[in-house]
Amino acid sequence: MSEQKKTFVVTRFDPDQDAAPRQQSYEVPVQPDWKVLDALNYIKDEIDPTLSHRWSCRMAVCGSCGMMVNGKPSLTCKDACADYGDRVEVAPLANFPIVRDLVVELEAFLEKLRSVKPYILVAKERAVEEGTYRQSPEQLEEFKQFSLCINCMLCYAACPVVANEPEFLGPAAIALGHRYNMDSRDEGQHERNEIFRGEGTVFSCSYANECSEVCPKHVDPAAAINQAKFNAVIDWLSGFVTSRGGK
Amino acid sequence: MKHLLLKLEPLIWLLFGQGILIGTMLLTGWILVVGVLAPMGLVSQGALGFARAHSLGSSLLGRLFLLGLLVLPLWKGAHHVRSLSIDFGGVERDAAVASLLYAIAAVGSLLAVVAVVRL
Amino acid sequence: MARPVNPHAMTPSRPGRTRTAPPQAPNGWYAQPRMLRYLLFDATGIVYLLVGFVALRVVWALGSGPAAWAELMRQLRNPLYVAFHLLALVCVVFVAVRFFRLFPKAQPGHIGPAKPPPGPVILAGLYAAWIGVTLVVTAILAGWVLR
Repeated sequence: MSEQKKTFVVTRFDPDQDAAPRQQSYEVPVQPDWKVLDALNYIKDEIDPTLSHRWSCRMAVCGSCGMMVNGKPSLTCKDACADYGDRVEVAPLANFPIVRDLVVELEAFLEKLRSVKPYILVAKERAVEEGTYRQSPEQLEEFKQFSLCINCMLCYAACPVVANEPEFLGPAAIALGHRYNMDSRDEGQHERNEIFRGEGTVFSCSYANECSEVCPKHVDPAAAINQAKFNAVIDWLSGFVTSRGGK
Repeated sequence: MKHLLLKLEPLIWLLFGQGILIGTMLLTGWILVVGVLAPMGLVSQGALGFARAHSLGSSLLGRLFLLGLLVLPLWKGAHHVRSLSIDFGGVERDAAVASLLYAIAAVGSLLAVVAVVRL
Repeated sequence: MARPVNPHAMTPSRPGRTRTAPPQAPNGWYAQPRMLRYLLFDATGIVYLLVGFVALRVVWALGSGPAAWAELMRQLRNPLYVAFHLLALVCVVFVAVRFFRLFPKAQPGHIGPAKPPPGPVILAGLYAAWIGVTLVVTAILAGWVLR
C-alpha cells in the first residue's frame, strides 16, 4: 500500500497549562483510503496520546467528529485525506468555546435545541382507543428532510450570524423546530412561532446559505429557516385577526 | 429599544422581502433609462421631457409605480446594511444601528409619499 | 491560524466545569469566494439606499416644475452619477440572480390548503416577471411606447 507522509497541524489547548490554544505539527504516514479521523486516531495511538478529540460511528451518522479541516467545517470521518495536500490543519469547530484540543463546549447548542420544544405538542393527549396518528406520504415529505439532522453542528461553525449574535437560535435548532411545525400531528405551531420571534429570532438569519452548503446530510437548514420566517410572519399577522390575545 | 425591534421584525422583514422582490424588479428599468440611457443621450429628447414625465408620473399607475420604487428599496437597503453591521461584529451596537437605519427608511418612505402625492 | 468572533458565541448560560478558550473562526473566513459574495449581497444595501434617495430627488424635482426637472436631468448627466447608476445596475442584477436562486426553497410546504408550485416553475416565473417588468418600464420611460 502506498502511504504518503502528510503534516497535520492540530490545535492543542490544555486549560490547566495553556493560556491560549496553540498549534502542534505531526508527521502522519497516511494510507490512501484514510479519512482525516484515521489520521487523528493514528496521532493519538502512535504519536501523542494526550490529543483529545470526539468521534464515534466512523460513518457520518452520529455527528460527533465535526471539526475545522483547512478552515472548513467537516465531518472528519467523512473527509478523505487524499482530498488534501501535504499540509492539513485541523482545528476545533468554529464559533464554539474550546474545552480542550479539538473538543468544543456543546451545552449552548443543547440549550438552543431544547428551547424550540422539539416534540409533538397537542392540546389534548390522544387516548389509546383512538388509535395511532395517520400521516400520508405527502404530509411526511413536508418535514422529512429536516428530520435527518445528526446534530453535528457544522452549520453553526459555518454561520456568520452564529459567530456574531450569541442569542441567535442557529440553523439546526430552527430546522428542528420547523420540522415539528410542519409535522401534521403537531399542534404547537403558535408556541414555536412565538419562540421563533423571540430573543433567538429567526429573522436574524441573513440567508448566507453557508449552513446548507456544509451540511453533510443535505438537511438544507437555510430552507427551513426561511420557510420558518414566512410561517412566523403568517402567525404574527393572524394574531391580529384571531382572538388569541394578540402578540 | 431591542424589545421594540423584536416586535417589529416580522413587519420589517415583509418590507425588506418586498424591497428585494418588487423593488429590484421596478428598479432595473428605472436605473437603466433614468440613470444611464437618458443621461448618455441614448433616449429621444421628448421621452423624459417635463410634459411627458409629469403626465406619466401623475397617472394612477405612475404614482403606484413610483411609490413602490421609492419606498421598497429603502427597506431592503436598511435591513441589509444592518446585517452588514452585524457581520462585522456589531451586535452590541445593533439596537442603535438598526433604529437609525429603519428611521432613515421610514423618513424616506414618508418623503416618498409626499413626493408622489404632490406630483 | 484563527481570528476571534463574538466572545459569547455559543456560550452556555451556566459555565462548565473547566476553563474554556474563547470561540474563534478560521483565518481568511470572510475572504473565501462564497463568503465574499454573501458580504457583497449585504453591501448592496448601501447602494439600494442611495438609489432610493436619488430617485426621491428625481420625483421631488418632477413635482417642483419644469425648471427643477430640467436642472435635475442636467445633474444626472454628470459622469459620476452615470457611473453610480451603472454600479447600481450591476448591484440590482447581482441581487436578483442570488435572490431568485434562493427564493424557491424558502417557500413553505403549504399555507393552509394552498401549495406552492415546484421550485423550477417558481424560478422561471421570477425571471419572466423580472424581464417582463423591466422591458415594460424601460419601454415606457424611454418613450418607445405611450408617446
